Amino acid sequence: MAFGDAWKQISWFYYQYLLVTALYMLEPWERTVFNSLLISVAGMAVYTGYVFMPQHIMAILHYFEVVQ
Amino acid sequence: MTESAANKAVNGEVCHRATNGVKPGRNGFVKNHYHYKQQKNCYAEEKVYHTACNGGVYSRPFIESFEETPMFVAVLTYMGYGILTIFGYLRDFLRDWKIEKCHIAREREQQKDFVPLYQDFENFYTRNLYMRIRDNWNRPICSVPGAKMDLVERISYDYNWTFDYTGRVVKDVINMGSYNYLGFAENTGPCANAAAQVTMNYGVGIGSTRQEIGNLDKHEELEKLVAAFLGVESAMAFGMGFATNSMNIPALAGKGCLILSDELNHASLVLGARLSGSTIRVFKHNNMQSLEKLLRDAIVNGQPRTHRPWKKILILVEGIYSMEGSIVRLPEVIALKKKYKAYLYLDEAHSIGALGPSGRGVVDYFGLDPRDVDVMMGTFTKSFGAAGGYIGGKKELIDYLRTHSHSAVYATSMSPPVVEQIITSMKCIMGEDGTTMGRERVQQLAENTVYFRRRLQEMGFIIYGNSDSPVVPMMLYMPAKIGAFGREMLKRNIGVVVVGFPATPIIESRARFCVSAAHTKEMLDTALSMISEVGDLLQLKYSRHRILPSLDRPFDETTYEENED
Repeated sequence: MAFGDAWKQISWFYYQYLLVTALYMLEPWERTVFNSLLISVAGMAVYTGYVFMPQHIMAILHYFEVVQ
Repeated sequence: MTESAANKAVNGEVCHRATNGVKPGRNGFVKNHYHYKQQKNCYAEEKVYHTACNGGVYSRPFIESFEETPMFVAVLTYMGYGILTIFGYLRDFLRDWKIEKCHIAREREQQKDFVPLYQDFENFYTRNLYMRIRDNWNRPICSVPGAKMDLVERISYDYNWTFDYTGRVVKDVINMGSYNYLGFAENTGPCANAAAQVTMNYGVGIGSTRQEIGNLDKHEELEKLVAAFLGVESAMAFGMGFATNSMNIPALAGKGCLILSDELNHASLVLGARLSGSTIRVFKHNNMQSLEKLLRDAIVNGQPRTHRPWKKILILVEGIYSMEGSIVRLPEVIALKKKYKAYLYLDEAHSIGALGPSGRGVVDYFGLDPRDVDVMMGTFTKSFGAAGGYIGGKKELIDYLRTHSHSAVYATSMSPPVVEQIITSMKCIMGEDGTTMGRERVQQLAENTVYFRRRLQEMGFIIYGNSDSPVVPMMLYMPAKIGAFGREMLKRNIGVVVVGFPATPIIESRARFCVSAAHTKEMLDTALSMISEVGDLLQLKYSRHRILPSLDRPFDETTYEENED
């Protein structure tokens, strides 16, 4: 039942997301298009962060001469 | 009459009505000398606010509030509209390239090279935003639209382009949308019986205009009754409220006249003003400084190029503005009109029957003299449960309108059962039918209004307007919430009217409740609990002020109140 409550909470949040972004008014295929675009952009941002963040952090620390 | 209202304040009793926030001396309205004397009587330095500092023309507290849109909500609303616009362009592209079937009106193949007929932004909005939530409007009602009504159930398989009837009827939907302020929309009772009797005598159709052979004795009786009800010399009734405004303002004003019209006036007033051919200047909504500035400019400068004086200056205001729920500042308008010698046209479409201790409208509500208003216009649609409009005023004015108004000359006169419904309901309100039903209805409406508004504001919704107006606009803001609110309320058996662009500014979409005397307290409680439930589900409780805001400060540039924190 913990999953039941969590599922209810998640679907409430999804409903709020649909209302705020006006996806509530769009047809299901339009929602799919928008959600895929959003997830792909977010996914690309996360991937870029994952790949490049160590390099960026090392460069910053090197600049501030905390690390050689 | 404004002098006696001022005298009422001088005796100091008004100082105890501690409901308005007025800082003395910030009025900026007509600087009548007698109101400076009263400021000495007012306890201005402490937190007891009162109406006397407003010039003493208000004999009762004037509490109106328009809470500011929260910034976060405004940004998200714009974002929502942006997403809808992008998808609208996408859909239009698909329709144009024939990838998707086009359901809307298009030019014929032979006309493709002509100047396009169907291309504005207004149509873009209709195709791509309105159509998606169209099931909230034009709902067919299959019973009398009283306090409860029956709706025909509809379903759409192609996203609201076409509707099919399932064959079922949704019964006993609480009606929070009809302009049924005094509850006269009923199919039983003395009004309905009288109307049925008159149908037996006169039939339903008239077949002519008032000027030709369509003037019944019922019409004459109605006009005398309306004149007695309003307290004016004479009145004239027309078949349609919209036509009353749009056809009579051209008869009253013409070229060389100036019309000063409120920003948020109804389309009928705007159309009438434009048809008249006069110069139109718009003042900010209910803002007396703006009106005074325009009046002064008009009198000092005269007509645009020649600087000749204006032939007449006509101020167009409404009693209650139905989209905002605000009440006109009538005492101040009358004071200004007298000072600058302008004429006043008051459209009491929503306020007649709904305001005032005896239901005689906004003039009665403020305790003013009806002879101060030059043209009193109103409709019978809202509080009397009928259809049509009237104009009341001096006998010379009405006699002039009988011959010069387009509506009198060209429009068919009112149907007899409608006239009888108005006569019976008006006699009921005036108390002339021997019962106290009219008085009870007016009081019930006032109680329902105060109760409903107070509970909604306590729940945390943003409610616009005056605390005495039976029109209650509740802000929704986001476009998806317009559709969601309408549908969720219908699921819970409550019918509401939701409004968006272009009737309101684009981010200020709202749900508009109309309180009725026919609503019992149980119905209102049911409705309120459902509204609260839907409000929690949709996260509509935007108000940042948990306490009832009270503000009677003259507005500066905007009609928003500031946060007092």
